[in-house]
Amino acid sequence: MKYILMMNTMKAGQGIPNWAVNDLQAHIAFMMNLNKDLRSSGELVSAEGLSFPDQARLVRAGKNGVPITDGVFPESKEFLAGFWIVDVDTPERAYAIAARASAAPGPGGAPLNMPIEVRPVMSAPPPEMM
Amino acid sequence: MKYILLMSGTKGGVDHYQAWSQKDIHAHMAVLHNINKRLTESGELVATQGLAGPNEAKVVRGEKNGIPVTDGVFPESKEFLLGYWIVDVASPERACAIAGQISGAPGPGGVPTNMAIEVRRFATFEQSGSK
Repeated sequence: MKYILMMNTMKAGQGIPNWAVNDLQAHIAFMMNLNKDLRSSGELVSAEGLSFPDQARLVRAGKNGVPITDGVFPESKEFLAGFWIVDVDTPERAYAIAARASAAPGPGGAPLNMPIEVRPVMSAPPPEMM
Repeated sequence: MKYILLMSGTKGGVDHYQAWSQKDIHAHMAVLHNINKRLTESGELVATQGLAGPNEAKVVRGEKNGIPVTDGVFPESKEFLLGYWIVDVASPERACAIAGQISGAPGPGGVPTNMAIEVRRFATFEQSGSK
């Protein structure tokens, strides 16, 4: 079964660009190692990081087919920073992978213990909705 | 360049959607299905997925004694990801145009939902682990 593991961040908390270089390198090395392990076990479907919230846009359908875009967000909005899609045997395995990602090191090497949202991915819309 | 188009809503919004008439849901899905078909034909669709409902969501933090700490209680106002499209397009404007089409999918009575779609570019630094 497939799960998506979502790493969210508050707009105000996007402090990563201010980290010391060696803290950032340790964080990235940890994430690359996690992805490598998941690839070796055949559980990684995909993993991506997203660009920072200053490039995020909200789009709504406009009149005459012209999209209406907005780049202003409430301070409290959570932004998706990155995600993993994993194909695992049990929900517990998905939680275990999320826990590992949660413990990625931050400044001074201390685990960030950031919350990772874990959600089952639907394989297809229910047939009656197609 | 790759973008992810995120469709989000609150738990209340999901309950509301589930109460739509069969006909309205059908019309909504038909439009989304058609958008997917066109994006597949243009070669711009990388992936699209719907997620299972918020009732199955868990938040995980670190671990104690090797056991992940999970929580499934969320504030009412929390926005949940309902589904996403990953597209590979020539410009940010094209990503926004696709998001606009999705936003215009019909709701109850055929009126466009005009739901907000968040458009985010994929970061290109090294640790992005896609294959």
